[in-house]
Amino acid sequence: MIGQTLRLKVAALTDIAPSLRHVRLVAADGGKLPPAAAGAHIQLVLAGPGRSFRNAYSLVSRPGARDAWDIIVRRVPTSRGGSAYIHEALQAGDTLEASWPGNLFAPVRTARRHLMIAGGIGITPFLSYLADFAMSGGEHALHVCCREEEKDVFAPWLAGRSGVAFHWDADGHRLDSPALLAAPPAGTHLYVCGQAAMNDEGIAAAAAAGWPASHVHCEHFGAALVGGAAFRAFLAKSGIEVQVGEDESLLDAIERAGVAAPCLCRGGACGVCAAPLLEGEAEHRDHFLSPAERNAGRLIMPCVSRAKGGRLVLDL
Amino acid sequence: MMHSDIKSRPAYQALVPDLAGSRHLLVIEGDALPPGRLATLSNTFAPVADSLHTWLTGAPAVEGIAGKLWQLGSVEDVLDTLACATRGYGMGDRLYVLGTEPFLWSVAGAAALIGFGPGQLQLEHAGSLRRRVWCTHCHVTTENVTTGIVACRGCSRHLLVRDHFSRRLGAFMGVMVDAEAPGEIPAIEEVFA
Amino acid sequence: MSIAFKPEETFRGDYRYRNSDAAILRFPFPFPEDRYMYSVNIEPHTRSGPSDVYLHAFDVDEHYIAECRDKAITLERDPGRCQVLPHMMMAQWDTLELLMESLSADYPALFSLTKEGDDFGSLWTWINRPLGIEQRFVFGDAETLPCEPFEYITRQAQGDFAICDQRDDNLYMDAGMVTSQADWSLEFDVGMSFMEWHGPVPLAHQTGVFERALKYLLMLRLGQPVRRLNWTMSINPRLDTSPESYPEWGPDRASVTPANAGEKVHLRVELQTLWRLPRSNAILFPIRCYLASLDDLARVPKWGKRLHRVLSTLPPQLVEYKGLTRYLPAALEWLAQRDDGAELPVGTAAGVTRLNAPVSG
Repeated sequence: MIGQTLRLKVAALTDIAPSLRHVRLVAADGGKLPPAAAGAHIQLVLAGPGRSFRNAYSLVSRPGARDAWDIIVRRVPTSRGGSAYIHEALQAGDTLEASWPGNLFAPVRTARRHLMIAGGIGITPFLSYLADFAMSGGEHALHVCCREEEKDVFAPWLAGRSGVAFHWDADGHRLDSPALLAAPPAGTHLYVCGQAAMNDEGIAAAAAAGWPASHVHCEHFGAALVGGAAFRAFLAKSGIEVQVGEDESLLDAIERAGVAAPCLCRGGACGVCAAPLLEGEAEHRDHFLSPAERNAGRLIMPCVSRAKGGRLVLDL
Repeated sequence: MMHSDIKSRPAYQALVPDLAGSRHLLVIEGDALPPGRLATLSNTFAPVADSLHTWLTGAPAVEGIAGKLWQLGSVEDVLDTLACATRGYGMGDRLYVLGTEPFLWSVAGAAALIGFGPGQLQLEHAGSLRRRVWCTHCHVTTENVTTGIVACRGCSRHLLVRDHFSRRLGAFMGVMVDAEAPGEIPAIEEVFA
Repeated sequence: MSIAFKPEETFRGDYRYRNSDAAILRFPFPFPEDRYMYSVNIEPHTRSGPSDVYLHAFDVDEHYIAECRDKAITLERDPGRCQVLPHMMMAQWDTLELLMESLSADYPALFSLTKEGDDFGSLWTWINRPLGIEQRFVFGDAETLPCEPFEYITRQAQGDFAICDQRDDNLYMDAGMVTSQADWSLEFDVGMSFMEWHGPVPLAHQTGVFERALKYLLMLRLGQPVRRLNWTMSINPRLDTSPESYPEWGPDRASVTPANAGEKVHLRVELQTLWRLPRSNAILFPIRCYLASLDDLARVPKWGKRLHRVLSTLPPQLVEYKGLTRYLPAALEWLAQRDDGAELPVGTAAGVTRLNAPVSG
């Protein structure tokens, strides 16, 4: 089990909702895929017009599956990149380059109980959690907040699963976070995954109920802000100046210029892409750098962070 | 003061109420209490007095402690009471323990078993620096060790008390001191008074 | 490939362990320079390296059968050498799957794994020809094996294994099979965090080595294992140099003289690899031990001379920590007679394809 990249073939594409596409992937050579854990994701390299995108998607297939991987891709309304490509151009039979699975959101094995809160498409990592807990016997509850008409979209992945409740914006159906978070016994771990505002609200409600931060986990990537004002970045080692567009990340622009930049989560969580900042002030949007590192102003995470002024100089 | 650069041993700190918690339990080894410490603790914990329970072992009755006071005989009573408390413990509970090192880790171990995470637990060392020593050879623990070399209660070998600490066992590691040259036992000195 | 196993070897009592010439030539010699230098020295564990011990995911050599038997003896005397905390069951199956898949792919003549499926609940058949084992079991159902899956498979592998659970931005040593260790106690250390179990290591804490290593390991990727070498020395070819059995092997340290050092003193090299486990997200930490006597090593002139020079520059804290104090002078005296001071090329490669004749004994 040694390797870095995989060739995958699209086995099937299904639209499960107007903006949600289910993609089934198999090994292009007909062999077996590496097993992956609950909460794992893969990075896909997606060819776009004139450039390629690298997007990370949670695996929703059962943990350990080696015959096929399933992902669910939401069409981001403003996207001209990866999600648009998957929704508009990708065909069954196409092959894609993918990373081996990574995992920045694995369930905590010492937990006595797992409490999950998902917002919309944020349910995806929890679909594999549910399969894991069904197998390992982990006590759990999943609360999904979505639009009322969306609550049956994930039914194929929830068949036979216990402990799942749906909430939507109508009297008697809203999630009462303070009440939910006041009750659990010691040893419970909380996991939230959804839009940034929902994540923040869940984390704040847990803190207000006295939860120690060590028991509160949040999947940031996918929900991270990507766009912002356009700016320029000069890559000092390479001697290249790149223009970073409003709807792309600094990392996207660096890759477009053909400069190698290691990366993993593309969501400001893992720290792999941290780059030395020589000039300019960063607008930090990551979850990795410490307050002291941010204040020092010597590092930037180009996958999510941008320029406060019009220009940055990176030592790349 | 207790200070050391033993990496496997935690740095103990003076207890302060964690205001983010919703219920607070203070467990004190009465025999290890320095004079006046109970009064200062009472002051420190006054802001959470409404949601504070204090369990005190082995000491005579005391007046004027913040919150609700329970007196328990020994560390075993503390462990039993923790394990079969009729009320459940929740994510807002905070546990504060004050005492000798073996006392701290006995209580911390029992708390971990019922689900307390490290972020819900504070430990303050008080009283003697005597150590619990785990014999690497026979796995018996010898309590109340004040010397750098001690005869094992289990196998009688003379053990050198190494500066390596296991939180799970609440004990330091003891390794035979004269294994390489049987009978060559250095002078035994009091070092953990 | 065929390996000529030596099932008659012993690692205690009469110490009938011997390296063949080929085993000496493939020894993972750890010193690229004449001076002792501490470094984290982590590199990708790809199927390449200066010795063929690096060519397989898990190296199997001529000592395989004898080492597995020595492990069984140690476990019989002290079952506490295998420790698994209750939340590690998924990681136990991960370890079994990784070892069975790697061994059967790398050594098809020795091991075979037949699966009716890849998922939990599938019937698997495992054949270990050197040890004469054929086992049918249900992957994911511990009841169908003679013991728990981690113990089952690591009894059939050379070297020690620890599994680290990853949580709270830290690693916890929550399982292990440790029967050939360089003087650390699994039963004492089980459950410890990364900094705690490295607590006794001198010098390195101050330089921040462990903080950097931990940060690196937390990001270890599935499919991209890494490796490093560590080393110490042992008297006699003894695998079980645990603190538990120190009363048995401690006296040997006082038995070394400049005359017998070549035969008695062994360089003990650990090939440590680190693997992200797929289903549990834990990290598997195999520690594979290779033993070679000074006699063996001096048959490669570059290695004998280099070992003399490195040991001469060892900081005193490390001499003490590695337990060399009592016999290092005798070993150095033995080695000095075989070091002409000639300049040696940088690197660990033996630089020869045939050995000199044995130098003593």
